[in-house]
Amino acid sequence: MAQLFTGLKVLEFGGGAAGPLGTRYFADHGATVVRVESRQRPDFIRLLRYTPGTEGGLDASHMFAMVNVNKYGIALNMSHAKGPEIARRLVKWADVLAENFAPKAMAKWGLDYESLRNIKPDLIMISTCLNGQTGPERNYPGFGGQGSAISGFNHLTGWPDREPLGPYGTITDSLSPRFVALLVGSALLHRRRTGQGQYIDLSQVEGGIVCLSENIVTQTATGEALGRLGNRSRHAAPHGAFRCAARDDDDDRWVAIAIHDDGDWQRFRRAIGDPSWAADAPFTTTAGRLANVDALEAHVTSWTRTRSAEEVMATLQAAGVDAGVVENFEDLTRDPQLAHRRHFREVEHRVIGKHLAETNGTRFSRTPEEIRMAAPCLGEHSEYVYRELLGMSAEEYSALLADGVFQ
Amino acid sequence: MTVTGGNLDGYRILDLTDEPGFLAGKLLGDLGADVIKIEPPGGDPARRRGPFAGGSAGPEGSILWVALNTSKRGVTLNLEHPRGRETFLALCRNVDAVIESARPGAPESLAGRGLSYETLRATNPKLVMCSISPFGQSGPYSGYRGSDLTAIAMGGNMYPTGNPERAPVRCTLPVTYYHGGIEAAVGVVFALWGRETTGEGQLVDVSLQEVMLVPNMTSPAQFPLTGFKGGRVGGGFRGGKAVFHELWPCKDGYVSFALRGGPARIPGIVAMVKYMDENGAAPDSLKRRDWTTYNHNLITQPEVDEIEGALGAFFKTKTMSELFAAACARNLMLAPANTAREIVGSRQLAAREFFVDLEHPHLGATIKFPGAFAKTNLGNVGIRRRAPRRGEHNVEVYGALGLDVAALAKDGVI
Repeated sequence: MAQLFTGLKVLEFGGGAAGPLGTRYFADHGATVVRVESRQRPDFIRLLRYTPGTEGGLDASHMFAMVNVNKYGIALNMSHAKGPEIARRLVKWADVLAENFAPKAMAKWGLDYESLRNIKPDLIMISTCLNGQTGPERNYPGFGGQGSAISGFNHLTGWPDREPLGPYGTITDSLSPRFVALLVGSALLHRRRTGQGQYIDLSQVEGGIVCLSENIVTQTATGEALGRLGNRSRHAAPHGAFRCAARDDDDDRWVAIAIHDDGDWQRFRRAIGDPSWAADAPFTTTAGRLANVDALEAHVTSWTRTRSAEEVMATLQAAGVDAGVVENFEDLTRDPQLAHRRHFREVEHRVIGKHLAETNGTRFSRTPEEIRMAAPCLGEHSEYVYRELLGMSAEEYSALLADGVFQ
Repeated sequence: MTVTGGNLDGYRILDLTDEPGFLAGKLLGDLGADVIKIEPPGGDPARRRGPFAGGSAGPEGSILWVALNTSKRGVTLNLEHPRGRETFLALCRNVDAVIESARPGAPESLAGRGLSYETLRATNPKLVMCSISPFGQSGPYSGYRGSDLTAIAMGGNMYPTGNPERAPVRCTLPVTYYHGGIEAAVGVVFALWGRETTGEGQLVDVSLQEVMLVPNMTSPAQFPLTGFKGGRVGGGFRGGKAVFHELWPCKDGYVSFALRGGPARIPGIVAMVKYMDENGAAPDSLKRRDWTTYNHNLITQPEVDEIEGALGAFFKTKTMSELFAAACARNLMLAPANTAREIVGSRQLAAREFFVDLEHPHLGATIKFPGAFAKTNLGNVGIRRRAPRRGEHNVEVYGALGLDVAALAKDGVI
């Protein structure tokens, strides 16, 4: 059966993850997604691990290859006089235009929504940058690290007595793609019903702040600024990561345990063999455990430290207690639940060779996602896209190629 | 509130989620769907969680509840009562999607109450059902208990977050519910799109564990190529040969700034050196360096330490707002690690009219909220209404089905 978005045409300018992981949702569900890049200004994630001696050059980036599976890649030199005109022809072909440059870029090329809707009235266009397309700080140059800081995630992550932290992986770069998919998907439903396109301005910072509504409303309704609590909860204990026995020479093994109420506590207590310290005050009530949390955590660690994280998880889950291995990246590749969901899929890239690519967190019962094609090398599909999808003649293609437009 | 119309105008969604799914229904409501939150007669457990607006504990004032249930109507329904289940099926005939977030196999899940997707589908073949769960609807861990802490642990986003000498650490607010909530909203919209083509609904299965892999930005998929398991480096990042700071103490808080290279980021480093120099804080080693060839994969730890020594000393002489003002004026890639206070006071967010005031007459308060998660030229995204009081829309929702609300209440159905 056809995939959800078979026949949908998506054109993409920009780079990094915040935009490209958003269009990936459509690519994984059958849409034709064309990424526009140029040799003058390649996607910066092609350069994250790049050094002048890197074998395979710009095409050797693991992260680029893993973010951009299922997409076609073309080169278009937007600094060339003919670049913007070719871009407009691509827009006429597309249903959806996605871009995540700084706000000035698209307008500079005449590719702003007001200009493009004249040639494509029902275009759906989404722009996503750090601070949005308007306001005094719209041109502030930012990447995900700054997005995490401005929207409040850094301040809330880590230990109360230490510097703010991650979360690992610049969180606005992974929240924003989901918003991109949600907004474009809903705009497609709207266009189907009304025939009307739309322009969407997604500020990555604002999206992050909406997620952290609890942070803002706590401040505006009570005057309290939330801070970092490590792994602790204000409502229950124990709630944290506890050190387990080493695995071979790896002594960085941990298990997360979350006791949410007194019922959980009774099951936990029995599962760890009913030690005498747990049977008596102050640990028998939530209030007592919260008030004596340092001692409580030391007791829990004395039990976990001599057991493997996997054994602790299995023992506690069998007893109906919320517990899980703090999995490192190696653990994830061996996790039986993720294997059951086929999270990792193998593809073969022209430069990198066989590698894993990841799916997102959702399975659809009738219209499964597919990973069918490795990410493009820079400009790999130029001829196919310009000739077959845009219908450019062989003569015109050759002339523009010779003229340096497809660099 | 001037939001009118919406991309999801005309769609109706039943929201049976608890905390892990609150955001999903809220976002769908912000897009214009008529989202009806269904709570047990005693109210959602989140209503009992503090802190509370207005200072005293009460079911209508829970910050967690009011913050993430905007743009929804609210009804109560007792699904343990046979007529409660009948009423639920009657509601399902007239809705487009149902969202739940109970653990598979739990007695309080829809399937546990005899209301599995197959049963609902027999009532309404066009129905989309979205289930959010810790690990997914099937597989070896599907019956495991889970929450934000364990989902982020097993999703691999906790191990690499933290200081090396301490335990891996999570964000104090539940990011897995945010990732999973948006993901579930995407799933509902995608399945509605499929339904418009085929006429049939489907089951959308969101795993909070799996949702947390992509935030690791492909590091898990890279493991077989790199052998990198994700060791923690505190508030910093790893280059090719060195570990770099990213979060720095300043006079009154912290700022984010990193010596990342690449053509897009080098101008920001050059501008920072100039800014430091104007403040008499740039040592010769920074000024003399040829930054055009700077590459964070080639620089060694002693070089990083020397540069960062000067940076760290300089940042300590400035406040967050001084540094961010300079960043905006000079294109420095530096940002303040904002608390809620700075976010609420942001001039950028004020200029974009991001915050909205919502009246809560029953609390005697008007509360400021983060507003639209995106802007469109149609002006059709944003908060439609404050979070519902318990059972606030029982009369209009059940009345529209022709049911006698007083009788339902008397019999313990709602």
